[in-house]
Amino acid sequence: MSLNVDNIWVWNIFGVEVWITETIVNSWIIMAVLIALAIFIRIKMRKFKEIPTGFQNLVEAGIEMFHNFAKNTLGEKLLYISPWFFAIFVFILSSSLFSIFGLRAPTADFATTGAFAIATFVLMIVLGTRHKKGAYIKSYFEPHFIFFPLNLIGELAKPVSLSFRLFGNMLSGTIILTLYYSLTPIFVQIGIPAFFHAFFDVFFGAIQTYIFVIISQMYVKTAAD
Amino acid sequence: MEALAKAIGLIHIAASIALLNGLLTTFGQAKIASTAIESIARQPEAADSIRSAMFVGLAMAETSGIYGLLIAIIMLFANPLVNQLVSLIG
Repeated sequence: MSLNVDNIWVWNIFGVEVWITETIVNSWIIMAVLIALAIFIRIKMRKFKEIPTGFQNLVEAGIEMFHNFAKNTLGEKLLYISPWFFAIFVFILSSSLFSIFGLRAPTADFATTGAFAIATFVLMIVLGTRHKKGAYIKSYFEPHFIFFPLNLIGELAKPVSLSFRLFGNMLSGTIILTLYYSLTPIFVQIGIPAFFHAFFDVFFGAIQTYIFVIISQMYVKTAAD
Repeated sequence: MEALAKAIGLIHIAASIALLNGLLTTFGQAKIASTAIESIARQPEAADSIRSAMFVGLAMAETSGIYGLLIAIIMLFANPLVNQLVSLIG
């Protein structure tokens, strides 16, 4: 574990250098695991019955929990977008749990959280124009058109604060654990870091994932409803 | 070399000042949590909705603390002005 995001190798695509960093490789690993899990569940789903048992119970309980959570914040009208939020939820949660293994979490890099925040921002604009049509564009010029720069800054601050919040929390955990690993002698590095990992990765990771998803849903709902 | 040492000292002082906003952030979060606990004690059947509102409020209040932390981290590890600071001092 180190403070810097290490650059693993450089690809040269048509004269443009593409840097493959540790973050990208780690998120590929997470994506591979999640895709394998999804395919596994899809194959299992053919044998699902009317009355759930065993593994089916677990899957249905998880999906139903997130469904109710999305229904409370998004409402019935926007419920069709909740699979996207489920994907974000699973990815951020598993990437913050990823640093338990001593590897760098992809969310401790601004590139990942910034990408998610930009996706939320695009979703806000697209769903706002789709559901409210002209009224969404007009909401930038409320109460008078000279307020347009203020409204624009207010909208642009949303993805910035959303991404910085997750990034700062994950990075602070990474930095504290790196300091602990590099400053202490080897014999205290055996059992004690488990508590730090439980606090910074599992607890903070779960809370920040919940916060990220619920605040994105609130932003999308205020834009579209 | 001495100029670089002075610059590093100044940057560390500045980073610690940037982290002082944690005082007010913690105060605000404590107020949110205490109010939420009071409301739950008064109305235990509304505990779930109060808890989710409390988490959102805590996250909103935490934003300024996170900004201070990020400013401190940027000043310490990715300071764009350190060369100019060294040349000004030395």
